[in-house]
Amino acid sequence: MSQLYIEDVDLGDDVGPLLKEPDRAQLDAYVKAWGTTTGRFVSDEAAQAEGFTGVILPGNMSMGLLAQLLTNWVGLEGKVKRLDVDFRRSILPGDKLNCSGIVTDIQIVDEENQVTLDVYIETQKGERALQGTALVVLPNKG
Amino acid sequence: MTTDYQEEERQVMANLDYDRSVVGVEVEVGHHEVTKEKIIEYAEALGETNPLYLDEEFAKGTPYGGIIAPPLFYNMFSLASGLDPKVNFGTTGFDAGQHAEFFEPVRPGDTIYATSEISSVYAKTGRTGTMVFTVRRTSYRNQNGELTTVVERRNVRRDIRK
Repeated sequence: MSQLYIEDVDLGDDVGPLLKEPDRAQLDAYVKAWGTTTGRFVSDEAAQAEGFTGVILPGNMSMGLLAQLLTNWVGLEGKVKRLDVDFRRSILPGDKLNCSGIVTDIQIVDEENQVTLDVYIETQKGERALQGTALVVLPNKG
Repeated sequence: MTTDYQEEERQVMANLDYDRSVVGVEVEVGHHEVTKEKIIEYAEALGETNPLYLDEEFAKGTPYGGIIAPPLFYNMFSLASGLDPKVNFGTTGFDAGQHAEFFEPVRPGDTIYATSEISSVYAKTGRTGTMVFTVRRTSYRNQNGELTTVVERRNVRRDIRK
């Protein structure tokens, strides 16, 4: 894994995309690890009773994919400090997800190299299912 | 338009049926013992490829000195739900988002203690009508009393769209 440094980053830089296609087996594994019994995540019937076409991904699972985009980007010496996300649309198993970000601010605060990003997940329909902001810290070169 | 929306929000909040006494009251909601197996189970479910979360031998050679949990691992903890403001509004409720801040890493063998409070209840009116948001802030600390994560979960209640 190569390390990203603050010197490598400019305003407007794209982050990602991290392409993901979580399937039903992954959703089931996530729900099992969590232990939730919320109907819309575990049962097609329960999800349909709420107006969905079938089970949907929990927002916190999709948000975990955005966290993955960020931890991959900042590397072992970087750190994710904050992630703030709105769950705007439901995501179904099998949806093709583009997890991406763009650098909107770079500042040194308390001797930390802080990078602010807009982050989002776009589905194959071109809809932003999740959207938010993140703050990460990157090391200096050398 | 904005003024109409603000007036509608004010009216909804003035008449909203919910338990105002629980807002801002912090309570303990339990603890969770972190295992390496659960971290790996979580990481695999998310399709993680970062060996920091999956491979102890690799992780030993990193600045962390061993496997840590991915940032959003706290969503796996089974804890009490905390005080309920019993917001009586709309016909359906769902998770609207999360604001998470990360401090100390979470490691296998940690016991994470959580406290929770309802930090706010507010109305927001837009083109599709009024929604009522409930924000619950949960603070997670490890066995040394160090803060690991603070999360504000936003839940929204509204009428199902016609």
